[in-house]
Amino acid sequence: MTYFTRDIWIGLVMLGVSIFYWLEASKIRVSPLDDPVGASGLPKSLAWALGALAILLIIRAISISLMTSSETVAKEDPQPLSERIRPHLRAIGMLALGVGYLLVVNTLGYVISIGLLIFFVSLYIGAPLSQRTILIALIGPFGFYLLFVLFLGIPLPGGTILPALPGTG
Amino acid sequence: MEPLGYAWSALTTTPAAFAAMGGVVWGILGGALPGISPSIAMALLLPFTYTMDPIPAIVLLAATYVGAEYGGSIPAILIRTPGTNAAAATSIDGYEMQKQGRGGEALGISLVSGVIGGMIGLFCLVLLTKPLASVALYFTPPAYFALGVLGLSVIASLSSGSLIKGLMAGVIGLMIATVGTDPISGVSRFTYGAPELLGGIPFILVMVGVFAVSELLVQAGKPEYKRPKSETRQMRIKLPSWALLKRLRKPQAIGSGVGLFEGVMPGAGGSIAAFMAYNEARRWSSNPDEFGKGSPEAIAAPESANNTVAGTALVPMLSFGIPGSNSTAILLGGLLIHGLQPGPLLFEENPDFIYGLYGGLLVANLSLFFIGMLILTPAIWLVNRPKPYLMAAIFALIFSGIYSIDNTLFDLYLVLFAGAIGYVMRLLGFPFLPLVLGLVLGYLIESNYRRSLLLTGGDHSVFINDGISLGLLITALLFVVGSGLRDYFDARKKKNAANADSAE
Repeated sequence: MTYFTRDIWIGLVMLGVSIFYWLEASKIRVSPLDDPVGASGLPKSLAWALGALAILLIIRAISISLMTSSETVAKEDPQPLSERIRPHLRAIGMLALGVGYLLVVNTLGYVISIGLLIFFVSLYIGAPLSQRTILIALIGPFGFYLLFVLFLGIPLPGGTILPALPGTG
Repeated sequence: MEPLGYAWSALTTTPAAFAAMGGVVWGILGGALPGISPSIAMALLLPFTYTMDPIPAIVLLAATYVGAEYGGSIPAILIRTPGTNAAAATSIDGYEMQKQGRGGEALGISLVSGVIGGMIGLFCLVLLTKPLASVALYFTPPAYFALGVLGLSVIASLSSGSLIKGLMAGVIGLMIATVGTDPISGVSRFTYGAPELLGGIPFILVMVGVFAVSELLVQAGKPEYKRPKSETRQMRIKLPSWALLKRLRKPQAIGSGVGLFEGVMPGAGGSIAAFMAYNEARRWSSNPDEFGKGSPEAIAAPESANNTVAGTALVPMLSFGIPGSNSTAILLGGLLIHGLQPGPLLFEENPDFIYGLYGGLLVANLSLFFIGMLILTPAIWLVNRPKPYLMAAIFALIFSGIYSIDNTLFDLYLVLFAGAIGYVMRLLGFPFLPLVLGLVLGYLIESNYRRSLLLTGGDHSVFINDGISLGLLITALLFVVGSGLRDYFDARKKKNAANADSAE
């Protein structure tokens, strides 16, 4: 996909977002306390603004791609698909690790969960499965526990499967 | 003498001085890590400032900015990997000096020039902010609305990427700001029954998400950093001699001049200032041929420039509440968290805060010199840590810090979501700053828009009848039209070049 066709897609998605946002703004309740603009006034204006910008982006992308000769477009040589999507898949994997932490932290507790997070994120980004990695995943959580729970007094989740450490929630 | 009293009181009765030094330490270490920009280093600290008093909290953030601008030059000089974007210009001659065995000297020049630039930036900040802020005393609600629109338009116009995408990002930021309870009627908007959203989406979550989490997502797909050679681990700073300092006066003056100009200009920031200073210093140098081959002047100019920016970038933010860069947007977020609204009333109502901040920045800039010399070895140690462990630790720090704000996991989901949005924005060429600015300025824009129309019974001509409002809106329009024309001519130039290539 060339840069300009990508902008057309972005414009279409943004147009969809603006329509969805406008429809949602229309559902905002009218209050007897409303001012002349109302609670939905600015959101509806923003929806119009985003829609207008989306259309401008589409027009701009189409006009630029029409101005550019077909030979030039053909010369654009994108990387193989597998190489292009690899970093994005890795980013999704990183997000999944974050979500995984959130799913287990109330059960396993902060210290164990943060240790697992450090361990798996380290491995995921390229650390070897070594004693060093394991040691960091074991010591790191206690550093965070000391800082956040004991020093700053934040009641991070204590978990339900093991006795909660002092100071955790 | 009263301002001095406020500054002295802040430094002696609050932990502001410690916050200044702590911020400098964190800033240098954060800035030294490739991928951790000053704004990310500040965003990571933001959750910790929630429970602090306003003066030390904001001094901590501002000092982080000061430290990070120097910290970025450490890997730039030692391993030719700028820790911050602003240090990219320093890496050109800094690394050449390192290859010649003069890395310690290059670091010394960077440190001294950074301190001088920082002090000049602070001086300009103190000199310019109050007079500019007093202009805002004449502002009415329509003028404040127009100021918000102008701020967004200028940032969207000057941010990297296309104007349309910049404006879109600004509008999306404003849309996010509408989530929560409507401040006038009390009606809930876009909350979908989630009680956590009734208070709106805190901008700290969006800031940490789009700046820090999205960077982690990017780093997950990148290879390991380049490592310094073993001899850099024993590096010692060598301060410049008097003779060299005399030679560096001119590039430092050029750098500070450029930094002053670029700092008060929205959207410019330290990176552009550093490269402009590099070019100007070469143009006015008696030894322009040395540039690119390890010239001390080529380090002094950009380092003075980016540290001057760390001071002068606060001028528009404190005067009008319009931040011109990512770092000052985070600083503005910090102010709003503590209920401090920038502008003239800040000087009237919270002089202790303003002068305490100035005092803290003075301590930060002075301590940069000493901390900069002492911290080099730990900074090199940190740069040498394998990326996976650093990234894992930052991920854990984000989760722990964000949880500490409201003790709810919901915020962490929002941060991850904001991080995913930030990643997609990077991918599609959307600038972050208009989004963050739209979010931060959302309340200012909406409340003054509605207040204006409340006074006139819904008559929009109030925005034209008010002279200041009209002037600001025309300026905003000129920025947008000018940038639109620039985009158009750039596209035509690219098209012509592409067609010429295909014809060959």
